[in-house]
Amino acid sequence: MKIAWKEMKKSKAKFLILGSIIFLVSLLTFIISGLANGLSQDNAALIKDLPTGEFYLNKDANQTYNLSKIDEGMQKQILIDYPNATAFSVQMGFVNDAEDKQHSIAFVTSTESQLFPTVKEGEIILDSSLKEEGLEVGDVLTNNQFSGEFVVTGFVDQQKYSHAPVAFINMTNYQEIYRVMEMQAIFIPGKETPTLSALDSFSNKEFLNAIPSYSAEQMSLNMIVWFLVIISGMLFAIFFYMMNVQKIGLYGILKAIGMKTMSLFKMIWYQMMIITLISLALSIALSQVFSFVAPEGMPFHLTMETVLPLSAVFIIVGFIGATISGFQIKKIEPLQAIQQGEM
Amino acid sequence: MATFTIDEVKKTFSNGEIEEEILKGVNLKLKEGEITALVGPSGSGKSTILTIAAGLQRASGGEILFEGKDMTKMSQEEIRQIRATDFGFVFQSSHLVPFLTVEEQLQLMLDVAETKFNKKEQSKAIEEILELVDMNHRKDAYPSSLSGGERQRVAIARAIIHRPKVLFADEPTASLDTKRSKGVMELLQELTRTLNLTTLMVTHDEEMLPYADRIITMRDGYIVE
Ligand SMILES: Nc1ncnc2c1ncn2[C@@H]1O[C@H](COP(=O)(O)OP(=O)(O)O)[C@@H](O)[C@H]1O
Ligand SMILES: [Mg+2]
Repeated sequence: MKIAWKEMKKSKAKFLILGSIIFLVSLLTFIISGLANGLSQDNAALIKDLPTGEFYLNKDANQTYNLSKIDEGMQKQILIDYPNATAFSVQMGFVNDAEDKQHSIAFVTSTESQLFPTVKEGEIILDSSLKEEGLEVGDVLTNNQFSGEFVVTGFVDQQKYSHAPVAFINMTNYQEIYRVMEMQAIFIPGKETPTLSALDSFSNKEFLNAIPSYSAEQMSLNMIVWFLVIISGMLFAIFFYMMNVQKIGLYGILKAIGMKTMSLFKMIWYQMMIITLISLALSIALSQVFSFVAPEGMPFHLTMETVLPLSAVFIIVGFIGATISGFQIKKIEPLQAIQQGEM
Repeated sequence: MATFTIDEVKKTFSNGEIEEEILKGVNLKLKEGEITALVGPSGSGKSTILTIAAGLQRASGGEILFEGKDMTKMSQEEIRQIRATDFGFVFQSSHLVPFLTVEEQLQLMLDVAETKFNKKEQSKAIEEILELVDMNHRKDAYPSSLSGGERQRVAIARAIIHRPKVLFADEPTASLDTKRSKGVMELLQELTRTLNLTTLMVTHDEEMLPYADRIITMRDGYIVE
């Protein structure tokens, strides 16, 4: 594919322009995906980091977890039938520290389980982001619905719910604060999960989307990401289309001397691949730099698990765009070009 | 011996409702090692018969026998293959690839013709051909830096580097002055002899006729001899 490479070298400006646009679009895409990821982590790490499994809510709850109340007898039976199941509840709330400063948190409590930390009565385990608000192990916290006091016994990393840091407390304390005996949800980890007739069941993804703001946030950001991907595909299509129009004469001659149409397609694909790979390499590198220099407090989380599939999509979309532009090459008659007689 | 026989070839173009018969049954035999020159007034169908023979467009009727096979019955892909390996083309303008050097133009043609040369054989073949057309000193030049005559010589080199059997040349000297035209004709004559090419050339320049072995005159879609 020397001819493809030579053409790029000879018309550097054109290809550089396309390359830099693709670079900018893909960089923007990576940054927005990083943001989407970061926000989803910030919004729901508590749920996101649970293993694959099934969530169950009360049927009357209308698919809203904080309206859900699981009957105590039923819960007991389920926990016996499925030993690794756990019942849990989440409610937004506040704690006050010794200086009476209020901290917004999400109270979480659960039955004994590997999935959530076990907390004794009067103790509290906090998400480590609260350290930045000055809280330390041994601090005493209060809540105006709660007669006793909480002692901070530890911190856990990356436990967020609805953009608030999570506070794990004991079930008895939780029941006192919120004056409910029932738990909101049951989670059973594993791929093969039962259908429980009295309860609605949700996959991890469905449960995440039931968190208020989660799907709204993710949907709008993901929409931007997909628009950018489509735009980059269209850029390839338009750019190569315009280049092909300029080269109709050349393609005609190459066909006349016996070149296969497939070789002309390969030429376009080769050029598209070179541009895409260089642009992606640069934007991946720069988006990683961005994750270090991103402003403090900006939730930005971009891993190769996001970048690599997105890059693959960019390549596929670029390929489709370039190929669509190539259909006109198929139609070029060698004779036309010769009779036009230029060069 | 005739390698190429054009037998009662007709061509009709339709412009909407009106059908116009441009070739009204052309018969022609081309011989190896000879230049056959097609002359005649403009619009008489010279380019049309040449491009049909060269497999660049289809005849409306008749037969074109190349090495005993009828090209009018071949698929598009079979014809492409013949164009790539057995035919060479020189046009009025050189139609070189603007972003390839002289040497690369020839490499490209060798690739298109799928010649089984290794690197060394390739550069040897290129050097030989450039020697023949006297362009070795410009092998790294791009078309834009060549004169019209030089470009045409490179186009001729490209047309024969893959050792085709038939060479088609449609007014190869039309864009050149008399002196350069004669140079190109001498070259075509020499190549036709030494490489035993079957050459079909269209020209309207009387001065080029002495270089032809046979002269065929066309008028209104017929051969009038
Ligand atoms: N694709 C085409 N469609 C319609 N008419 C054509 C086409 N190609 C050639 N012609 C007509 O055929 C006639 C012969 O053309 P051509 O073979 O180019 O003549 P010459 O080369 O002898 O000058 C002209 O009248 C030209 O207008
Ligand atoms: Mg003509």
